[in-house]
Amino acid sequence: MNAIITLGSKELGDAFRSRWLIAFAATFAAVALMLAYVQDDAGTVGEQGFNRTTAGLINLCLLLVPMLALILGASAIAGERERGTLASLLAQPVSATEVLVAKYIGLNLAVWGAIAMGFGAAGALVALFQPIADIGHYLLFVVLSAGLASAMLSLGMLISVLADSRVKALGGAVLLWFVLVLLYDIGAIGMALAVSSSGRTLALVALGNPVESIRLLAIMSMEPDLEILGPLGAYLTEEIGTATSVGMLIAGVAAWTVAPLAIAARWFAHQDV
Amino acid sequence: MLEATAVTRRYGKTTVLDGATLAVEKGRVAAIIGANGAGKSTFIKSIVGLIHFEGSIKIDGVDVARHGKRARRLVGYVPQDPAFHADLSVKETALLYANLKGVPAARAREMVEVAGLADHADKKTGALSGGMRQRLALAVAQLADPPLLILDEPAAGLDVSARLDLRKLVDSQKSAGKAIVLSTHWLEDVPYVADHALVLDQGKTVYSGPATQLAAPGAPGSKLYLRLNGHSPEAITLLRELPSMGAVAHTGDWVVVNCAATQKARVVEALVGAGISILDFRVEEAPVDAAVLHLQSLQRGAR
Repeated sequence: MNAIITLGSKELGDAFRSRWLIAFAATFAAVALMLAYVQDDAGTVGEQGFNRTTAGLINLCLLLVPMLALILGASAIAGERERGTLASLLAQPVSATEVLVAKYIGLNLAVWGAIAMGFGAAGALVALFQPIADIGHYLLFVVLSAGLASAMLSLGMLISVLADSRVKALGGAVLLWFVLVLLYDIGAIGMALAVSSSGRTLALVALGNPVESIRLLAIMSMEPDLEILGPLGAYLTEEIGTATSVGMLIAGVAAWTVAPLAIAARWFAHQDV
Repeated sequence: MLEATAVTRRYGKTTVLDGATLAVEKGRVAAIIGANGAGKSTFIKSIVGLIHFEGSIKIDGVDVARHGKRARRLVGYVPQDPAFHADLSVKETALLYANLKGVPAARAREMVEVAGLADHADKKTGALSGGMRQRLALAVAQLADPPLLILDEPAAGLDVSARLDLRKLVDSQKSAGKAIVLSTHWLEDVPYVADHALVLDQGKTVYSGPATQLAAPGAPGSKLYLRLNGHSPEAITLLRELPSMGAVAHTGDWVVVNCAATQKARVVEALVGAGISILDFRVEEAPVDAAVLHLQSLQRGAR
């Protein structure tokens, strides 16, 4: 436990010095502030409210959070291995699993911090003009973004363990981001529609990608009837019910968080340094 | 303290370490010797648990393969090319490793001072010279005062003065009852610092026995090149009369003397004693390959 706290704290500090995280936090906060500050037709500042700001932030989050988490995760082990510091750490009374878990926790806290900063800045601005009771969906989406970051970080760390150089790990992370965030809609969902356009098939396809699962959860929180999702919305709300759908999607994201990390830990423990 | 039995490491069909066996008691020093690629670092990394291996390695009875974390509590390891997080200062680095080893912060500060790095405590490790990094690695290795010290090529890249300091360190740790394993390709150091020598060649053990064999008569020795002040003929006659001396010849301006690594000082003493001044000298140590061949012949003779 001592090793996890020591290495996790170090990782958190390193992450906050990382230019990736600083760039992300600054960009995210700036865009979030812009969305919150946008003026309505009457020219009233902040009139967008929490729900409108949340809706505006969804696409931004689904693009930026996976990118940041995948890149930080992919650099975690491969970078240390390349610099030779991994051997120095693993020559101490620590296990490979402790090093991996410590890095995961430290990076997770750093990414959550960056997300909180972005959402916090926008939220504070909106709260000046809107009743605080309207903040529920907004906070929920902060939590969903944190969940997405955890799943993506886990995938990034798996890439980091498998890659034999930092460049390859980063390449793998960018490729995975491209597939999950940009290609998945066209590729997997398109193929699923070609095979069967049933809501069940589409739900299964959505479970195959944590980004899609988070997107659905965010939409469900804002548009509970899910009419905009067509057969998928009907399946989730009418056939299996909203509560079960939410549970299923959360379980899917949790599985995407735990499984890659567990595989990475097992693989890492069997690797030579 | 250390019992390594039949340690083998294969990469596909290539065997880089083939059944290496080594036992080191407290207060004893073992040297693992071999040319580059002989398997020294593989063996050392196996002992630390950084790579997976076949066979058995126990440190004070703790199985490295099964209880690596517990075994590493008993080990201080200095890698061949120590690497630290470049953005941490010397004192932050010592503190990080002290925390990992469960050692108080005061001990980290103490070891930074002992290593002679107190003036550089705030310097980032990325800005340290190779020698300073080596000293920091030694300080980190000794943080928890472990009973087994493992030094991978500790003399590589060190100047003569630093090598002498290293010898002193090994002696002091040995006197303190520590078991020490070091790998080296500096043959001349071995008889002075080690009790036991394990010589590896392409992963196979070609010699395992007293380190003194490396300085025994007949062992490949040093080549001493001496430029003398016009007294070469007398010097050659004098040196040929010295006991345990190899071939002595004249090449251009230089007198070339073949002798055991431990006899070099006697050559210089004899010349100075006879009033022959030495204008210049160079030393060429015996290559590890020559030692391997010599020790192989010794092993064959013993069978």
